[in-house]
Amino acid sequence: MAAVTFNNISKRYKDGPKAVDDLNLEIADGEFMVLVGPSGCGKSTALRMIAGLEEISDGELRIGERVVNEVPPGDRDIAMVFQNYALYPHMTVRQNIGFALEVAKVRKDEINRRVEDAAEMLGLTEYLDRLPKALSGGQRQRVAMGRAIVRSPQVFLMDEPLSNLDAKLRVQMRSDIIQLQARLGTTMVYVTHDQVEAMTMGHRVAVMRKGVLQQVAPPQELYLRPANLFVAAFIGSPAMNLITADVTIEGDDVFVSFGGHRLRISAKALDRYPGLRERNGTKVIFGLRPEHFAMEEDLEVGDDQVLTVRCDLAEAMGAEVHIHAVVDVPPPAVDGAPIAAEDDPEALVAGTKVIARVDGIHTIAMGQDVRLAVKTHLTHFFDPASGAPLR
Amino acid sequence: MSVRRKGPKATAIRVATYVLLVCVAVVVVFPFAVAVTTAFKRNTDIFTYPPSLVPKKEATIPAADVGLEGDPVPVYSFPDRDDRPGQWALVDGDASLAEFRPLDDLERVIVLDVKAGEKTGETISIDGEEEDVYLVDDGGAQVEAYRSRLTSGGLFVSVDDPSTSVLDLVNFATPAREFGPRFSNFTEVLAEKDPETNGKGVGRSLTNTVLVTILVVLGQIITSILGGYAFARVQFKGRSTIFLMYLGSVMIPFVVLIIPLFQLMLQVNWRDNLVALIIPFAFTAYGTFLMRQFFLGIPAEIEEAALLDGASRSTILWKVMVPLARPAIATLATFGFLYAWNSFFWPLVIINSGNPDNAVLSLTLSTLGGRSSTDTNLVFAGTVLAMTPPILVFLFAQRYFVENSASSGLK
Amino acid sequence: MGLRDRGPRTPRVAVDTGVQLVTAWHLVGVAAGIVSMLLASRSGDDALPAVIKLFMQVFSIAVTVAHLAAAYGTFRRMRRARTVSLVTNYLLFVVSGSALLHQLGAFTGIGKFGTGLNKAFLPFMVIVVGLLWVLVAGQLLSKNPLAAGPNGLRRAGWGLAALASVWFVIAADPSGMLSMIGDRITQPLTLGTLAVALCSGAATRFMWQRRVAVRFGTSAAEEQTLSGLAFLSPNLIGFTFFFAGPLLFSLVVSFFEWKTTGTGRSFVGIDNYVRALSLDISSSDVANAGNEVLKPGYQVLMHLDWFGQNWVLGARDVEFWISLRNIAIFLVLAVPASVLPALVLSSILASRLPGMKVFRAIYFIPSVAGVIGVAIIWGQLFQSTVGWINYLILRAGEILPFVDPPAEGHPWVSSNSTALLSMVVVFAWMNFGFNTVLYLAGHQSIPKELYEAADIDGANVWQVFRRITVPQLRNTTFYVLITTSILALQLFDIVWILSTPEPGGPNNATTTPVLALYEEAFQGNNQGYASALAWVLFLIIFGFTFAQFRQQKDGATSGGVS
Ligand SMILES: Nc1ncnc2c1ncn2[C@@H]1O[C@H](COP(=O)(O)OP(=O)(O)OP(=O)(O)O)[C@@H](O)[C@H]1O
Ligand SMILES: [Mg+2]
Repeated sequence: MAAVTFNNISKRYKDGPKAVDDLNLEIADGEFMVLVGPSGCGKSTALRMIAGLEEISDGELRIGERVVNEVPPGDRDIAMVFQNYALYPHMTVRQNIGFALEVAKVRKDEINRRVEDAAEMLGLTEYLDRLPKALSGGQRQRVAMGRAIVRSPQVFLMDEPLSNLDAKLRVQMRSDIIQLQARLGTTMVYVTHDQVEAMTMGHRVAVMRKGVLQQVAPPQELYLRPANLFVAAFIGSPAMNLITADVTIEGDDVFVSFGGHRLRISAKALDRYPGLRERNGTKVIFGLRPEHFAMEEDLEVGDDQVLTVRCDLAEAMGAEVHIHAVVDVPPPAVDGAPIAAEDDPEALVAGTKVIARVDGIHTIAMGQDVRLAVKTHLTHFFDPASGAPLR
Repeated sequence: MSVRRKGPKATAIRVATYVLLVCVAVVVVFPFAVAVTTAFKRNTDIFTYPPSLVPKKEATIPAADVGLEGDPVPVYSFPDRDDRPGQWALVDGDASLAEFRPLDDLERVIVLDVKAGEKTGETISIDGEEEDVYLVDDGGAQVEAYRSRLTSGGLFVSVDDPSTSVLDLVNFATPAREFGPRFSNFTEVLAEKDPETNGKGVGRSLTNTVLVTILVVLGQIITSILGGYAFARVQFKGRSTIFLMYLGSVMIPFVVLIIPLFQLMLQVNWRDNLVALIIPFAFTAYGTFLMRQFFLGIPAEIEEAALLDGASRSTILWKVMVPLARPAIATLATFGFLYAWNSFFWPLVIINSGNPDNAVLSLTLSTLGGRSSTDTNLVFAGTVLAMTPPILVFLFAQRYFVENSASSGLK
Repeated sequence: MGLRDRGPRTPRVAVDTGVQLVTAWHLVGVAAGIVSMLLASRSGDDALPAVIKLFMQVFSIAVTVAHLAAAYGTFRRMRRARTVSLVTNYLLFVVSGSALLHQLGAFTGIGKFGTGLNKAFLPFMVIVVGLLWVLVAGQLLSKNPLAAGPNGLRRAGWGLAALASVWFVIAADPSGMLSMIGDRITQPLTLGTLAVALCSGAATRFMWQRRVAVRFGTSAAEEQTLSGLAFLSPNLIGFTFFFAGPLLFSLVVSFFEWKTTGTGRSFVGIDNYVRALSLDISSSDVANAGNEVLKPGYQVLMHLDWFGQNWVLGARDVEFWISLRNIAIFLVLAVPASVLPALVLSSILASRLPGMKVFRAIYFIPSVAGVIGVAIIWGQLFQSTVGWINYLILRAGEILPFVDPPAEGHPWVSSNSTALLSMVVVFAWMNFGFNTVLYLAGHQSIPKELYEAADIDGANVWQVFRRITVPQLRNTTFYVLITTSILALQLFDIVWILSTPEPGGPNNATTTPVLALYEEAFQGNNQGYASALAWVLFLIIFGFTFAQFRQQKDGATSGGVS
């Protein structure tokens, strides 16, 4: 088992922009690290550089103490699970799992023992003599895992291993992988674009965007203290509502106003975002997670902490209702790119879309005006130019 | 197509379609049928008119059928003689006969027993020779005739009625023929070349062809797998340049290479040796393309997984890629087989001392069946032997072959 | 318990010791190279052909330089040195290995192996049956994904093959071959070659290792290049020696007067080409004038009658020009004859009616049966007295009023007027099935909706064929036409077997360019001139190939055969 260290790693494909740009990341020994980010942000590239499947253009990569830039994949002592599993179609499950050991010229009985142990662990014992094409998706996924764990490698690498499974199986495998990693204690680098996986599985999560690392932190911290607008928008589902708003400070009270609405922000927010004090009379980006709304009757707040909007769409999800509304300000953007994954540049409305998540007991009709209480002490504030939090 | 439609008109079209297809199929199959039947014929049987698809031999019946003992006896008929219907067994091919010519029609010949006829005592002058005049029996009537010669001929017994018999010259009778394939055509044509036994030495050519074909196919498979893999999956400097050269090479017709290759073979002393048919043909640009194309289709992750499993490139190639590439290899093997087995021009050029030990089938056949050909039946036996393996291989490997002829554009 | 700790490894040569040994070996190589350079320049003048001598000199200089570079580089542990050493050793291994096999008679011994195979053909067939058995059993198993792994059926096949192999070895009696190898290997030259092969082989193996690469700091890209070239090398070596080299040589030879034997070779510039292509035309007063009206050295090719004036067309190489004329006629007749039926038949076969696969297979058979056999069969069919063709025409004449069979059987191949036509028939018969399959591939790219739309519009069979199938198959048709033309231009085998009384007969009616080339090169021993003919022919063929390449580029997206 070993740590993995990226020192100023860059990757440039032949004719393209940098897929990974000056990445610095230390993955501790035994840590479960999740790489997350939108499609094309360079997660897979980073992972494949660890594996040795992509050449490193610049920087230094260490596994344990060893610099592995020029070490071929087979000598790095790592195992990888691919999105499509990449099982050897012509080999039985037993041969698939044992292939690495066979290549390493491990004795036959030893191979058998270790393959059977791994199969036992993954519940594959009865399928050992089948070919991959006679297995279900979930079973194939397990075989791919078995192929990785049988070798007891220094590092596990997984590239969206669950994305080909149906939702239920995914939940199941998610916990299986967590437990497996905990039991084996092997360093794990796990790539996903599914933030539920990212939040639930990782000890720490690294968020990437366009090849640049945005923030590395434990999941809860990412949620609570996003390092920038991008992370704020990316983490959480539905995404954080980001609204361009004017700030006015009247004594100790901070007010944000946007599209004809005006909200008083609790003083606790000022403690968390002291930078806000200097922004009197300027525009900031006001961040408000959907779950920080409640129906007025469910939450005791002052009148000036209630937002009244017209419900465009109410999605009843059972435990909760998602209320979609629009406030009349242009949607924010950071260096030209839409910041929320759900952002639809072709949206029919010119304003900023707002989603509120309220308790499921309410029945809300489309077109109805709703009064939403805002937990203003949990709101976020970002600089509209740089996207940096106003801490 | 619109032949799928229903209704009487569509049915008519469909029937016409099948008739057309069957006609073409007959045109294709008929020459092969001629070849196969000829391969079983006797040589005398080939040049009879009208041509026939049935190999025949001269008919015989057991001697017991005509009340004799011993070997079966041949059967004849007299098609021109209305008075001798049916079939006649030749029980004695060496009976003593006399030929008489009636005086009123000297062109006619009456064949009778030597002792037949009575001298009238008169003589007649024929071409300046004095001949005795006999009184002979001619179909019941007694005519005057002279005895033109004494000879030996056949004693025929009617098959239908063994009690009747006639005497006649054997070549006045037509041998009856019956179905009778001659299998020894094949053993003779395969036997060692020998004018005494009529052996044609095709057996040796056959083994040579088998040897050459096997080695060429194996060589092509190995070099194409290696080359195809390198082109498909290894990023190396100069790859695209070399690949372009390979692509260009398929534009060069073989005739351009034949003279320099001949010179090369002379230099290394490979002329008139089987090795000249093998080594230069163990490399194929087409095969390399075929394998490359197939390897490109195998997901890269499978190979990457193997790399991570610690496998070297050659382990990956032989243990992962090659087992997956079996269909492509089968295609390649089929093409290689047909090419090597049927090739003719190059063997003609390089195996040219007439030494049968180095000849291959196509070459031997071309000599046997060429302009000074004799023993056509044996030539066809050899031809059938030579054609059977490629046709069988084609029929068995059809799936691979037909699918890929189009995409690879091989001819 | 990772993969790394898998018990004590077999002790291996330490990297540095190994590299020192390799350096020493390269130094030996330098010395040997210098010696052979001297030897090559001094050896008796007439002992070896000049080409070989030149080649040997160049080769030994190259070897010496490469060894020198490798020795220096490995000694200094330079990064590139491993590559240089590897390439040097590998090539040396290939050359010395081939030389060794040559000296042992392994190449020419293949003929002798044929003798052994002939003696032991029966056991050989048993081996083949055993292996086929294994193959079939494997196929059956792979159909059933649950039951993989070893099993009795396959083992039985292997066992049969193994037993038969023993029998084969006994029957083939290799003792003669073995003793010959034994004799030869003890000769000093052979031993020397063996030593070189062993040393260079061992050095290649050693330097190839991963840990040596690490020691020299070889980059991953360089490793890739090395392994790519290693994989490609068997192919590349064959390509160089049996394709690229000869191709170049052919071009060179075409500018020489060149005989098989060493004498009588001289540079003649483009004379060969001039001779092949020269034409002369002159008018004459008399019809059928002879060679005397042409320039000296020219012979009458044909007489023309233009506007009441008699012209005589002459050429220096009359036979070649006749062959060009023949092949042009052949092309015009044979290509449509083998493409049109394919177009029609493929349209029917593409309809997926029952039995189509059977017909497809039947039609294909002539193209795999082997041209020699086919030509022999057709020779018999064309026979003038008892041949089937004449017989069938006669019988057809009895039924069909418009067929007027000649009283005597027509001598198809020995008559001036029909000899070439006979070749056309055989060629078309052999090739239409292949073309049908090519067309079938083209059919797959025609959108089915087109036919459905035509059906709705009430188009009849002919209209569908004329308006949809044919235009949609344009690209395929082009491809098929070109490939068939290229094949037709190289007509040889059919003519070689069928034509009488000599190849190309009667009266050159069936002479083809390839036949002319063959006769020049191997019967007339004019290899230089024949090479020029080959290049002329190549240019003609290339015209067709080039057209096809252009078309493929243009029509890559519009369906057809890729
Ligand atoms: N082989 C390649 N050649 C050129 N560019 C590439 C190559 N592979 C990836 N890229 C580019 O590099 C960038 C990062 O790709 P990468 O595969 O790492 O994204 P990702 O984060 O894994 O995305 P996804 O979630 O869709 O898998 C992308 O812009 C992609 O287009
Ligand atoms: Mg990815």
